[in-house]
Amino acid sequence: MDPTPHPTRAPRRRRFPWYAYLALLPAGVVLGVFQYYPALSGMYFSFFDWNPAGQSDFVGFDNYLRMLDDDLWWRSFRNLGIIFAFSIVAWVIPLFAAEVVTSFRSDRAQFAYRTLLILPMAFPGIVTALIWAFMYQPNRGVINEALRALGLGDLAQNWVGDPDLAMLSLLLIGFPFIAGLPFLIFYTSLRNVPREVYEAAQLDGVGRLRRVVSIDLPLMLTQLKLLVFLAVVGTVQYGFVAYVVTGGGPDNATLVPLLRMFSVAFQAQDWGYAAALSTMLFAVTLVLSCVIVFVRRGSPGSVDVRGM
Amino acid sequence: MAVLEATAVKSPSGTRARGQARPPRLRGSRPQWGLHIAAVVLVLVGLGPYIFMLTTSFKDNQQFAESYWLPAFPLRFENFATAWTQISPYLLASVIVAAGSIVAIVAISLVTGFVLARYRFVGRTFFFTMVAALMMIPGIASLIPLFVMVKDMGLINTYLVLMIPHISGGIVLGTILMKTFIEGIPQTLFDAAQLDGAGGVRIFASIMLPLSLPVVGTVGLITVNGVWNDFFWPLLTITQNELRTASVGLLFFQSQSGTNYGPMFAGYLLASIPLVLLFTFLSKYFLAGVQGGLPGSH
Repeated sequence: MDPTPHPTRAPRRRRFPWYAYLALLPAGVVLGVFQYYPALSGMYFSFFDWNPAGQSDFVGFDNYLRMLDDDLWWRSFRNLGIIFAFSIVAWVIPLFAAEVVTSFRSDRAQFAYRTLLILPMAFPGIVTALIWAFMYQPNRGVINEALRALGLGDLAQNWVGDPDLAMLSLLLIGFPFIAGLPFLIFYTSLRNVPREVYEAAQLDGVGRLRRVVSIDLPLMLTQLKLLVFLAVVGTVQYGFVAYVVTGGGPDNATLVPLLRMFSVAFQAQDWGYAAALSTMLFAVTLVLSCVIVFVRRGSPGSVDVRGM
Repeated sequence: MAVLEATAVKSPSGTRARGQARPPRLRGSRPQWGLHIAAVVLVLVGLGPYIFMLTTSFKDNQQFAESYWLPAFPLRFENFATAWTQISPYLLASVIVAAGSIVAIVAISLVTGFVLARYRFVGRTFFFTMVAALMMIPGIASLIPLFVMVKDMGLINTYLVLMIPHISGGIVLGTILMKTFIEGIPQTLFDAAQLDGAGGVRIFASIMLPLSLPVVGTVGLITVNGVWNDFFWPLLTITQNELRTASVGLLFFQSQSGTNYGPMFAGYLLASIPLVLLFTFLSKYFLAGVQGGLPGSH
C-alpha cells in the first residue's frame, strides 16, 4: 500500500515525544493492572496458602505436590483427552460437507449451502447449549420423543443423568459439527485448489475418495496442523457447555479441569490450590500456544476467511 | 510457422470433434441431485434443533403436548411477550456492557495504535511486544486471580467488572489491528496535513478517526460477540439479577421457566436475534471475528 518506506516514516525524531508516552499510558495501565498483574499474582500465590482476606502463608511446592495426588484433577484431564480425540475424529463430517458443497458447479448453490451450514454459528453458545440440554431431557426431550415415535421407546435414556452416557451425550452436542472453524477452513482451502489440478486428476481416472486422500488432504496440510493446535488450546479451556448441560456430573463423569478449578476455588475456597491449578492450565496453554506460533510461522498463507 | 499454423487450425476442429463425445460437459447441464440431497440433509440436521426452537416458541402447553413435532395453530405470539418481560433486563445489561467496552476499546486502541504506528521513541518495540504477547495468554488462566483482585477492589456487582475482561482483551487485538491498519495509510496524507498546519491531535481527529472506521467496526463486532457469549466471568462476579448479561441470564431464565416450554424457547429466540442479525448483515466481519476469537470461545 505505502510505496514510501521507512525514511519518510520517522520524521519526528527531533522532538522528544513526551505526549507519545502520555498517549500510551491508558493502554499500559489497563493491560498492566488487568492482564499482567493477575497472571503474575496467580503464579506467585500458587506457592502460598492463599487467604485473600487476610494472612497468606508460604508453603513452597505443597500445592503442586497436592496436585499429583488429586485423582479428580487427573480424571478431568483424561476426560479432556477424550474430548480432544473426539473433536478431531469428528472433523470427518465438516470435511465431507465441504467436499459436497464445493462440488456444486454453481457458485450460487455453493454460497447458499455454506451460509445455511454455518448459520448455527450465529446463535449464542448458551442458546445452543440450552437447546441441547432440552433435547437430552428424559421426559419430553427431543431424542427420547423421537425414539418413542419410532417405536423404540425402550431405548429412551436419561442421557445426561447416566454416568455411562453423559460423556457421549456431551460430545454429541452440536452434531453434525459443521458450523465451526474446521468447515470454514476446509471449504476455503478446497475452493482455492486450482481447477487444473482436479482436471488432471480426472483425466488420470482418479476416483473421488482417492482425490480426497491424495490431493485435498495433502494440500490442506498446513491448515490442518493449525487446526489441530487451535483444537488443543480450545480443548484446554473447555468447560462452558459441560457446566450448563451436566455441571461436570453425574459422579464427575464429565468433569473437566476448568470446572475442577472452579470448584476448588469457589466451593472449597482453597485459593492457593486453585491458583496452582490455574497456573498449571496456563503453562499447558502457553506451551501449546508457542507451538502454534511456531507452526504458523512455517505456513505462508494462514487461514484467510476474507476469501469466503 | 506453417506447421504451427496447421496445428492451430486443426485444434479447434479437433476439440469440436471430441466435443461430440464429451460426457463430462454434457453431464454438466444436468442438475446435481445427489449432491443437493446430501447438502439438504446436512443443513436440516444442523438446523434441526433451531427449527424445533422456532416452532415450539409459538406453542402453548396444550399445543406442545398434542403436537410435539409439527407447528400448531393459532400461533401464540404472547409467548414472546412473556419471555420479553423476563429476559429484556439481561439483554439490556449485555447492550450496556458491550457499548461501554466498545467505547473504551476503540478510544484506547486507536490512540495506542496511532502512536505506535506513527511515532518513533525509545521503548516503542518493547511496548508493542508486551501488548502482542498478551495474545498468547488465555483469559481463563488468570480468571481466579482477577476475580480475587476485583473483589478486593469492591467491584463485584457492577457494570464495570463485566467490562474489564472485554476491555483488557479488546485493547490487545484492537491495538494490533489499528497499528497494522494505520501503518498502511500513506505517509503523504499526514505530511499534507502537517503542511497545512495540523498538529498531532488534529491529524488524529480529522484523518485517523474517519479512515479507521472499518477496523472500528470489526473490533465492535468481535466485542459484541464476546459479551453475548461471555459466561463464567458474569457467573462469578454478578449475583444481582438485573446486572446479569445474556448468557447467565438465560440460564437463570431457563431454571425459572419450568415446563412452560413455549415462553422458554421464545426467550432463547429473542436472545439470539441480535447476533443472528449481525451475522446476516455483517457476515464477513463476523467470520473474521470468529477466526480471531476462536481459542477460548468455547
